Amino acid sequence: MSNTRVSRRQFLNYTLMGVGGFMASGMLMPMIRFAVDPVLEAGLAGDYIPTSQKVSELTEEPVRVDFTYDQVDGWYESEVTGTAWVYKEGDKVVALSPVCKHLGCTVNWAGDSAHPNQFFCPCHAGRYEKNGQNVPGTPPTGPLDQFEVKVEDDLLYLGATKPNELI
Amino acid sequence: MNWTANDLDLYMQQQEYIDTALIPLVHIGSGGGMKQSASSAEFLMNLSAFIERQFKGRIVLFPPFSYTDGNDRSRLASEWAASISDMPFKHVFYLTTDPAWSRDGIIGDAIWIPSIPLESMDKKLKQSVLEDQVRQIIPVLTARWTTE
Repeated sequence: MSNTRVSRRQFLNYTLMGVGGFMASGMLMPMIRFAVDPVLEAGLAGDYIPTSQKVSELTEEPVRVDFTYDQVDGWYESEVTGTAWVYKEGDKVVALSPVCKHLGCTVNWAGDSAHPNQFFCPCHAGRYEKNGQNVPGTPPTGPLDQFEVKVEDDLLYLGATKPNELI
Repeated sequence: MNWTANDLDLYMQQQEYIDTALIPLVHIGSGGGMKQSASSAEFLMNLSAFIERQFKGRIVLFPPFSYTDGNDRSRLASEWAASISDMPFKHVFYLTTDPAWSRDGIIGDAIWIPSIPLESMDKKLKQSVLEDQVRQIIPVLTARWTTE
């Protein structure tokens, strides 16, 4: 114990300052936190959807990758399953949308035994090259869309679709 | 295509390509058969939605047509056939889990698939079961598209 004596006045001063400061900081802290919040926000990952596909297991042969996400449509909430055709080109991962550019059917890789290295649409026999280029003379009018792709911890993340950039 | 205004707009423009109607026939059971029929309906609706996604540009999926034991199946079938024939569809596929339609020859070409209870399955299993079923149905559809 120190020998300095604390007077009644000093004691009250300290106590009031302490309590007052505590209360003031209780009010100020959230305000400051809100003010600087936009700066602290980590770069949002966009709307990347995780898949269970390991990137190291991909080859040059397109494989089907399924992913699920929630969709709210009016009051109808549902879990939607999406699909992508994913393959490696060199070190780059390419993910193509399976939605046919003709009328929106789902295309399959090597779906037609006569054309084993093309995407095939079973509805009206539309065909696409491996890079998504539509084969002239078949109904589709444009190339398949591409997904934004992100790799994290060897797992594949798929983002929004964008027009095909491989062609 | 689904039976929605937007999809039907597209259908109107693309009638030469979208030439098939898919009509799910859903049995509504009563009494002790209620749960069983609900399970079948769930399976059938999941399956037809899957087929719609696969063949969006060729098939119009109709709202499910439901009937009870009190309905006269053959009367329903002939009324449906008459109405559908006024529509510009080249192919009409009926999809059902009720064996009575094709067994009794009411709709001879109704596609019958045995119902699989999906309610106890997790998502992954459900999806692979449905995929297997669709894979069995696809040859039936494509065979009719090429022969008719």
